[in-house]
Amino acid sequence: MARIGVFVCWCGANIASTVDVKRVAEASAGIPGVVRSVEYKYMCSDPGQEMIREAIRERKLTGVVVAACSPRMHEVTFRRAAREAGLNPYLLEMANIREQCSWVHPDRKEATLKAIDLVRLMVEKVKRNTPLYEIRVPVTQRCLVIGGGIAGIQTALDIAEGGKEVVLVEKDPSIGGHMAQLSETFPTLDCSQCILTPKMVEVRQHSKIKLYTYSEVEEVSGYVGNFKVKIKKKARSVDLEKCTGCGECMNACLTRNQPEIRPPKDARDGLTAEEMEVVEEFIARYGAEPSSLIQVLQDVNLRFRYLPENILRYLAQRLGVSLPKVYHVATFYTAFSLQPRGEHTIKVCLGTACHARGAPLVLAEMERVLGIRPGHTTPDLKFSLETVNCVGCCALGPVVVVDNDYHSVKPSKVEALLSRYQ
Amino acid sequence: MNNDGKGKRFESIGQFLAFQQELISSRDPKRRLVLVCRGTSCLYANKSDRIVEAAKREIEKRGMAGQVEVKATGCLGFCEQGPIVLIRPQGIFYPRVKEKDVPRIVEESVLQGRAVEELLYTDPSTGTKVVYEGEIPFYRKQMPLVFGHNKEIDPKNIDDYIAIGGYKALARVLSEMTPEQVIDIVKASGLRGRGGGGFPTGRKWESCRKAKGERKFVICNADEGDPGAYMDRSLLEGNPHSVLEGMIIGAFAIGCEEGFIYVRQEYPLAVEHFRMALQQAEERGLLGENILGTGMKFRVKIARGGGAFVCGESTALMASIEGKPGEPRAKHIHTVERGLWDLPTNLNNVETWANVPLIINRGADWYASLGTEKSKGTKIFSLVGKVNNTGLVEVPMGITLREIIYDIGGGIKEGKRFKAVQTGGPSGGCVPESLIDLPVDFERLTEAGSMMGSGGMIVMDEENCMVDIARYFTGFLKDESCGKCTTCREGLVQMYAILTEITEGKGTEEDLSTLEDLCWLIAEGSLCQLGGSAPNPVLSTLRYFRSEYEAHVRDKRCPAGVCKALVRYYIDQDKCTGCTLCLKRCPQGAIEGERKQVHRIVPEKCVKCGICREVCNFGAVVRE
Repeated sequence: MARIGVFVCWCGANIASTVDVKRVAEASAGIPGVVRSVEYKYMCSDPGQEMIREAIRERKLTGVVVAACSPRMHEVTFRRAAREAGLNPYLLEMANIREQCSWVHPDRKEATLKAIDLVRLMVEKVKRNTPLYEIRVPVTQRCLVIGGGIAGIQTALDIAEGGKEVVLVEKDPSIGGHMAQLSETFPTLDCSQCILTPKMVEVRQHSKIKLYTYSEVEEVSGYVGNFKVKIKKKARSVDLEKCTGCGECMNACLTRNQPEIRPPKDARDGLTAEEMEVVEEFIARYGAEPSSLIQVLQDVNLRFRYLPENILRYLAQRLGVSLPKVYHVATFYTAFSLQPRGEHTIKVCLGTACHARGAPLVLAEMERVLGIRPGHTTPDLKFSLETVNCVGCCALGPVVVVDNDYHSVKPSKVEALLSRYQ
Repeated sequence: MNNDGKGKRFESIGQFLAFQQELISSRDPKRRLVLVCRGTSCLYANKSDRIVEAAKREIEKRGMAGQVEVKATGCLGFCEQGPIVLIRPQGIFYPRVKEKDVPRIVEESVLQGRAVEELLYTDPSTGTKVVYEGEIPFYRKQMPLVFGHNKEIDPKNIDDYIAIGGYKALARVLSEMTPEQVIDIVKASGLRGRGGGGFPTGRKWESCRKAKGERKFVICNADEGDPGAYMDRSLLEGNPHSVLEGMIIGAFAIGCEEGFIYVRQEYPLAVEHFRMALQQAEERGLLGENILGTGMKFRVKIARGGGAFVCGESTALMASIEGKPGEPRAKHIHTVERGLWDLPTNLNNVETWANVPLIINRGADWYASLGTEKSKGTKIFSLVGKVNNTGLVEVPMGITLREIIYDIGGGIKEGKRFKAVQTGGPSGGCVPESLIDLPVDFERLTEAGSMMGSGGMIVMDEENCMVDIARYFTGFLKDESCGKCTTCREGLVQMYAILTEITEGKGTEEDLSTLEDLCWLIAEGSLCQLGGSAPNPVLSTLRYFRSEYEAHVRDKRCPAGVCKALVRYYIDQDKCTGCTLCLKRCPQGAIEGERKQVHRIVPEKCVKCGICREVCNFGAVVRE
């Protein structure tokens, strides 16, 4: 037979100012199985807890419901009190009539009715609870950290310093991750590598950390506290104990194409024979000097319809301009594109005369029909759309140039124009 | 007859002059010619090459190939009416010629000297047909001293240029003058830079000559970035030698052996023609080693732009030639002392160079007699926008805006009302109707809040919104800013944002004074004239059209009907015939209505693309 005790807390004014706690206690007394139902100002206080203990002992309660704040606050408190009084702590539940009731509903009548319902729900639950017993399970005192970026590195170090063993697995040949690729960190503008590399060294040297680089987690089984993990160590063919990282092996390697690590050391290797011939022809026109860069890029851009990365790297090497400077030039001038352009290039003139004659409406219609904005290419690579500031054909305005054809266009004629190039 | 410009090399000045004399006398001034305009517009859009081919075919067919020459020329200026065909010696003028008209033109005009009535130009103000080129109103008030030669020559043939007296100035300079004398003549002429700066050319040459250093450069600035301006392009395409001759004379005066021409990326035909000109000039000994046997050395290289407006600025242009991004530098040391590769460099605009042979040939006094007190000579303008006769016009300095827009330009298109004329490109401003009698002159335009600029003249009517125009220019400059100076880079972004909000009906009264503050700040803090003159479009429109701004911010109204957020389209019940044309053409399906019933535009779906208004034959779609 159930013998449930209900304890409704005022929580000072937090609950009581909205919920009629006396009413809740009265209503709860009428629930089948409830043999005691009281309200009190602060259930979590010592006297409050003593009320619970006393009721358990004297009234021989088989279950308790404390209607108060969130269980995150005092569930532990009340369950300890229950245990002390000889009641299995898992036969005590809390009904949250604060965060889920008094704090979120302004209407007194409605809040009270809801609180009564909440208590009743919990009473019914507690009637069906079974006693639970904690057990101690041994936990393997080792942990696995997956990922050797800064987060993984710091985690491994924190746990190792706490006296536990750590296994750190990283899929790349080295730990460090993105932070190792940055020059400065925000907001202090610390030198990224200066603060990272000491940690990397510490990881490597820590007696409690076992580091697996160039490795991946293959399989995880088991359960919390007792996992079983299979780690694949990718074939390195290098004895890490002896390796000093001098890089001579990379230089000597005959099949050294490691695009995932870095582009070929000699940019010539990035070009096919045909590409080389074409580019050299361009260079011959202007001379292999830094000042020829823009002219050569013009020819490359025309021939290949954009500026491919391998050719930019080659030009940097060949013309004696640093790669960042090549990119500075390539991105400064709008004539150049770093992405492949479509089969047809559409240029909508936005010169003043064309603007005065309604070019923005033509552009809007063009965007609508093609579904792309200027500077982009249609997904089927058919059309690239650009704007240009004056092609000098103002008498025809608004002017749209498709490849080398100049057209005088009105918004209503855009679709017809494009269909000519399908 | 029509050789391709190849010929013997001139080993001396005397040899050249003799050749020129002979060439001139061998060309009958009354010989029969069919001149067809092959400027970029007419070539690519109107396919004038087909007309050239058709004319040649027809003449072949009639066995007249030996007696009539078909010449493809550069731009003939009256672009609104292109492609133009001129029949010589009579001077019969045919506008908007189509390939199918050619047989008739050849049969009647070339063979029989008669005009084909239906194909002639109709003067819109009188309604009558005009036969001869000299009587076309567009041309009558012009003074095409520089540009006029376009119709005399095939730009791909150096002999044509020589036959009209080309390179005579160079011959004179090399045989009779010292460099200092040349500079004195250019100074006395009063020639000022035609690219926008208006700096006295003779003075610039003199400073460059005096600058320390052995190795110097002359540069021709053919970047012509101002949208709406294409005079330089047409000069380069139509008469490249006039520019080249000017450069050679300049190189002589300054004392240098190397020259560059920096042509913007968007002008492939100009590059092609100039390249041919360089080649032919070199072959004939007018350029390169030992020019006309005098020992003078001078070579020109072509550099192409990469699509950056800022590269029209001299220091940015030079950075670009050096293969770097076009970022200007501060000019406390002028480029005449430290320019390209830190060496003395004299940079001039295309039109400026083209004026030089003219000045040498006709004399400084003659040149100084044209124009106004401080602005001498002529200027080529690109008269575009809402004007009837769009095209390139060359007029003496001092002519009024009214004469240009109405007498030459033929007034406003479709009979609308004139609102403003924008001069000077993005660095200039808008001049309202109240100032339409302003004489065109460097100082007067600057006083009015605009500037001469490179010569772009964009005419606007009542359907242009001045706030939208200010926003357009600010947006243009914002995109073209190189980014070096914070005030320009960030200030233009903010100005654009404010102007955009105003056009969307979200502007406030306070925004107008914020704009004025920003204008001052941007001009103060920028080291080049892109930023320095960026405020002009905004300031001039605020000055003359403040009421329009106020309508936008106070009443949330766009009086011109341009700003999409502030206008709406609706159908006039009285005019709609229910023809369903607009309904069918509406891309958003925003028009509803039955056949023969008045249609209605659904405001929620309307994106204000304007297509319905465009296609309606009854004027029933209203925009307000």
